[in-house]
Order: sequence, then C-alpha cells, then structure tokens
Amino acid sequence: MTGFASAMSALTGAATLTLGQSDFPHPMHQVTLAHYLVLSALLFGIGLIGFITRRNLIIMFLCTELMFQAAGLALIAFSRFHLNHTGETFVIFVLTIAAAEAAMALALVVLLFRRRETLDASAWSELRG
Amino acid sequence: MDLFNPLLLYAGCALGAVGVAVALPRRGINPQVVGGLIAAVAFGLIMLALARSLDHLPTVTFYIFGVIAVGGALRVISHPRPVYSALYFILTILASSGLYLLLSAEFMAFALVIVYAGAILITYLFVIMLATETPTADEVEALAEYDRYSREPIFATATGFVLIAVLGTALAGGRGAGSLTPATRYAAGRHLSELSVRVERSLREAKLIEPGEHIIVNDSLGRPAIDVEGGTILVGRSGAEAGQTEARIIPREQWPADVHLNNTEGVAFSLLSSHPGAIEIAGVILLMAMLGAVVLARKRVDLDEQARAEADRRQLVDPVVGGSS
Repeated sequence: MTGFASAMSALTGAATLTLGQSDFPHPMHQVTLAHYLVLSALLFGIGLIGFITRRNLIIMFLCTELMFQAAGLALIAFSRFHLNHTGETFVIFVLTIAAAEAAMALALVVLLFRRRETLDASAWSELRG
Repeated sequence: MDLFNPLLLYAGCALGAVGVAVALPRRGINPQVVGGLIAAVAFGLIMLALARSLDHLPTVTFYIFGVIAVGGALRVISHPRPVYSALYFILTILASSGLYLLLSAEFMAFALVIVYAGAILITYLFVIMLATETPTADEVEALAEYDRYSREPIFATATGFVLIAVLGTALAGGRGAGSLTPATRYAAGRHLSELSVRVERSLREAKLIEPGEHIIVNDSLGRPAIDVEGGTILVGRSGAEAGQTEARIIPREQWPADVHLNNTEGVAFSLLSSHPGAIEIAGVILLMAMLGAVVLARKRVDLDEQARAEADRRQLVDPVVGGSS
C-alpha cells in the first residue's frame, strides 16, 4: 500500500497530495473545487444530451447512469472540500439506487423487447398521455 | 469573486455544442472525428476558462482523467453500436474512479470499479446482447434503424449545453464554489479515539510501547485514552502492576504514520454511526428491486396484443385446434 501511495504521489505531485494520508491534511481551494464541479456539470450535460437524442432504450438508461456518475463526482468533490465523509456516504446510496434502477429497468426493457421485438423508444409512443 | 472567465466558458460551451451535434449519429454524412476534435477544443476552452490564475490549479492527472471521462461519455452517446457504448461507459467509470482517488476517496473509488464496472455494466452488456434483433442473412453487419439516427440532435445538444453553461456559471460563479470557504479541520478524525485496539497495534509495531504495556482506558485523572485534539495517547501497565508505574503520554510528534483515521474507517463511521437508518432503507430498496426484477422477468410475454387477439379469435372459431395446441 505504501508503494502504491508513493507511486501515486510521484504521479500527482506534492502540492495537492492526499493519497495514503487520508486524514485530509490539506484544505482544498475553491478553484480546485470549481474544476471538479464543472467537470461533473459536463458529464451531466452529456448524459442529458444522450438521453434526449438516443432512441435505443438501453442506451437511454446508460445515459441516466452517466448522470448518476456526474452527481457522484460532485458529491465526492464537496466531501473533500468540506473534509467530511458524508458526501462519500451519499455516493454509496447513489450506487445503491443505480444498481436497483439497472435491475428494474433492464427487466422492463427485456419485457418490452419480447413484446415488440424492437428497442426503439418511439415504438411505445402511444403510451404518451 | 468569479472563479472563471465567462466569455471563454460560453465560447467553449457553444463550440462543444457544435462538436457534439456533429458527432451524434445522423442521416447523411456523419464526420465523427471532426466532431470529436471540435469537442476536444471546446473542453480545452472550458478548462482554460477556469484557469484564471495559475495558483491552486488541479494536478495534471486531473486533466488526464477529465479528458478520458468526457471523451468516453461522448463516445457513449455518439457510438452507433450499443455494445461499444457500454464499453466506453466502463472507460468513463474508470476515469471517474481515478478522479475519486485524486479526491482521496479511495474506498469509493474501488467500490465504484467493483459495483459499476464489475456488476452493473455486465448486466447492461448481457441485456444488450440478449435484446438485439437477429440480422437477416443478407445483412450481417446491420445496425438497427433506431441506432443509426438520433432524435433531434441539434435541439438536444443546444439544450444540453445551455444547461452546462448555466450549471458551470452557478457552480463556479460568485454564489457557487467561490462563496464557500474550505474546511481546515477534519472533524471525523475524533473517531480515532474509538479505535484503541488498532492504535495499540500500530504503536506496538513501531516499538513505542513495551510488552505488557497497554493503552490506559480508565485513567485515574479522567483523561481520555486517545486524545486526538490534544495529540496524546496514554499508555501504561494494567492490572496488578498498574499501581507501580505512572501512565505515560505519547505525544503526537512520536505517533507512527498510520495512526490516523483512514478513508475506509471514515466512511464506515459516517455510514454506520451517522446514517444507520439510511443504510437500512438502502437494503430495503435493493430487496424490492430484486423482487420486482424477478416478478418482471417471470412474466411470460410471447405475443403482442394484436397477435393474441388473433389467437383468441382462432380459438373461438375452432375450439378443437385451440384445445389441442
């Protein structure tokens, strides 16, 4: 573990090194936080675009997972910024919800596919209200 | 204070929208490489917009993992083949777990790889392979029509990048990250005092306590055994020998390097002592999802309603055929 930590420290540079010394020795600056938040906004936006544009039901659900991922990154970044573990705990619940959603949604997709022999979301457009 | 250059950010978002709209699968010409290059330039512009001063920038590793994550995400939404989309999503997951490591969330980084890349994505791959239309003999490399063309690529991309610009402004702007003050004190570190067995083991390995000495739990003066705030650990002999020797103090300067709350222990304390109800609810949600998936998967659906009505009608006309089949 120490070998791994020192290898990572050589990789990441000493300035923001936190690995292997996880009692969060360095406060995180707002600028660094803003980078992570904008990256998570980018991932969320790409997931949203995919959800709107793709017509394959499975890819649409994959794009919701992408949005979950973006939310998780923001939570971890805030957790690091505020030096407590509540954000990381929330990511565990995000993972739980994602797993539950994958199980349910994919069972539903298989059911829909067996009925219509297509994964096209617009094949079910008569379901709209 | 704004942490970003608004002009560069909005220019990056506009360029990114163009790139993504070009890269999405469309009818007619579909130059995905050109779209990807434009999107890469846009990503560079957005990151440049955040680099107002050269202080406090994240490390190079952040940019590497960020490029991989965003590029993988772009491939997820632009690749016409679902299996490749799922594989690119795994790439995004691995890059995110690298970012988690940079944020010193080691436990969540590895949990993410195991749960997402190992379990959830394998389920997705199974379903993609299970629910694919069998291509006819003359078209072996056929893509389904709904995979080849996307729905409203231009409007969707515009909407998405307006959202990204607004989110970026809100998160990096004056009332977002810029108005927050970073925490300087690690509050969860006090939980270290509850781990006396582990602390004693690492003290013993560092040869800071002699054989027979222990961490004193009940000091006569009422001092805490492990005082994280004050930086002291009390050690001494217990039992019959206790009266002979005074408890001695190991100050923080002498503590071995592994006497601190590591990430996994911090998450464990947060999960089990601060949010014990939530973990029960998570368990119930997983149980319900499992039951729901079993119920859905057991349902026999062979025919569409129309086909079933046809079958019913046939059964009505000729009950002998219907009964025997």
